[in-house]
Amino acid sequence: MSTAIALLGQPNSGKSTIYNNLTGARQHVGNWAGKTVEKNEGSYTYGGKKFSVTDLPGSYGLSGNSDEEVITTDYIKSGKSELTVVLVDASQLERSMFMLAEFARLDKPAMLVLNMIDVAKGLGKEIDTEALEKKLGIPVLPFNATDTKDYDRLKKLIAEELKAPHKLKVPAPETKSDVKADSKAKFEWVRNIIEGVTKTKDTVYKMSKFDRLMTRPILGKVICIGVVLLAFLVAMIIMIPFMNIGKMIPGALHDPVDKLLTGWNVHPWIVSVFSTMLPNVLFFVISMASFVFGVNVVFGFLEETGFLARAAYQFDGLLSKLGLQGKAICPMLMGFGCTIGGACGTRVMDNWSQRMLAMSIVWAIPCASIWSIIPVVSGMFFSWWQTMLVCVGILLYVVITMIVVSKIFSKKLAPKETRSGMIMELPPYHKAHWKHIFKEAFFKAWDIFKRALGTVTLVSVIFYVLSFSSDGDVSHSLLYRVGTFIEPVTKFFGMGWQTFMAFFSGAFAKEAVLGTLNAVFMNGNSLMEATFYAKTAATDTALLGGAMTAAISPAEALAFMFATTFNIPCLMALSTTYKESHSLKWTVRVAVFYFCNAMVLSCIVYHIAELFM
Amino acid sequence: MKLTESKAEMRGKILSVSGDDHFMNRITSIGITEGTAFQTVRNDRRMPLLIYLRETLISLNRADAERIEVEAV
Repeated sequence: MSTAIALLGQPNSGKSTIYNNLTGARQHVGNWAGKTVEKNEGSYTYGGKKFSVTDLPGSYGLSGNSDEEVITTDYIKSGKSELTVVLVDASQLERSMFMLAEFARLDKPAMLVLNMIDVAKGLGKEIDTEALEKKLGIPVLPFNATDTKDYDRLKKLIAEELKAPHKLKVPAPETKSDVKADSKAKFEWVRNIIEGVTKTKDTVYKMSKFDRLMTRPILGKVICIGVVLLAFLVAMIIMIPFMNIGKMIPGALHDPVDKLLTGWNVHPWIVSVFSTMLPNVLFFVISMASFVFGVNVVFGFLEETGFLARAAYQFDGLLSKLGLQGKAICPMLMGFGCTIGGACGTRVMDNWSQRMLAMSIVWAIPCASIWSIIPVVSGMFFSWWQTMLVCVGILLYVVITMIVVSKIFSKKLAPKETRSGMIMELPPYHKAHWKHIFKEAFFKAWDIFKRALGTVTLVSVIFYVLSFSSDGDVSHSLLYRVGTFIEPVTKFFGMGWQTFMAFFSGAFAKEAVLGTLNAVFMNGNSLMEATFYAKTAATDTALLGGAMTAAISPAEALAFMFATTFNIPCLMALSTTYKESHSLKWTVRVAVFYFCNAMVLSCIVYHIAELFM
Repeated sequence: MKLTESKAEMRGKILSVSGDDHFMNRITSIGITEGTAFQTVRNDRRMPLLIYLRETLISLNRADAERIEVEAV
């Protein structure tokens, strides 16, 4: 049996840092029943006892009617947790104590943690903890979320409190029916509590030099974009060693497994499942996890230092047109590097709906792999300036897709009436705590690794069966049969069976597209090997170009390029979206949209291009 | 005057905030209530406003800032 406690605090109160440090790897992410709000539960043991911790979804108060506030209020009221740990920011005591005023009305056992006590001290603010304790009637713990010793004190205090929990002894602020009067009553309550406990100097705020640059309308945006791109580079550098290890797996395992199983007289079809497919699945999932790791490290850094809030300030106006918060700029810029990175970067968003909407918009952004395919294919059919035009056309359509996606999905995810302009605090710049950032990133990556393994294996098996041919000849695969069978239909959409197949494999992995083109146009390698890009290095673009220009029209090539760019990004992006959103329904919805969007786009491009070419 | 008309570096007091309950809840829970002293930190065209209030730097978009009446002190 474990004892349940809950963490309550405003955004930027350091709640997630404390939650992560308390629970470490023993975390479970789910959804609150019937709601699309993420539920974070974890546990730790102290003194031989198990404690389960619920990280209550946060907002600045509890009186609004957002899902987060309702869930949090109901949970505390239910009494499922025996103790609520209320976190406040000691450096902004008056404002953040508002949460305690809200909590006071629920009349449940609690203790108060004065987080960032070090920052408060640095600002010359003194808080008389004992006086505060006496006034409130609950224990008060000065805390520095980044000091490991403080966690022992916290755990000890929690264990002691659970033996004989305290409730606030001050009467809760009076409830007023008018929101304005009600809030006023709460702030008066706070003022009465902290009077004589702390002194706040009335100071003139001076912006730091860096902040003065960061908040300039144009320069600030340029700095933001630069920093995020740099962050992406750093994320890549962090992940490369892991990627490289992952990359070695298919090559290293193929021959020994093949030899071993063949020696046991296993049927060759099954042999290739174990020698080609599964090692590649492992490679995919390792790549995914290393992306998650790298992106979490850099975003953890950007978030902890306070940079993200500045980026949100800069881009809020622009992104609110898409129904998104300004913070979404970070995952969106990441998307130009890799959609997986962009999708897991949406963790910075405040709530599930925003995260889902941001992910569906990030899918529209062509990743680095696409930019390595399009110029190659385009170069086979068009001159350099026409290729430039193709790229410009693609970029234009990125904007159109984003607007369409936002129009379609924001109806449910960000309805106009719940859309609210940005009201948020820009926290002071903090030093980053690397150990904590790396630890957290590692847990997230490990979590994704475990959970994605199954999904990726399943989809890979399906694709494997479709692309399998016993002798490596494309025309003996199921995909070929299906592809040629439905060719009259795909032809209408602008693609013959070969390009459609390459388009289809692009939804699996963009790196597979060139290999698949090679397989279908030149029979150079087997489709299966191409899709699991076992032998992509063998693609000779000059020869392939010759074969392709002889087989298909420039209009079809153009349609194919657009379709491939706006198709489902890849299996790993799909799987990451599912793992990050915990919603199969929405992941499928977004995937279906992108597939249809790509087909319709291909159709339009083909038929228009045919008029001119 | 409206908060959007205040100049950077101006110090003042919140006179009134108006809007529906949803908005009022959000704006008051972050600390913007009537009578609170504040300082305008930045007010650039077509950018959210930056104000300093209750020891916190707060950014809020222009449409919402329109609904806040303030006076200089």
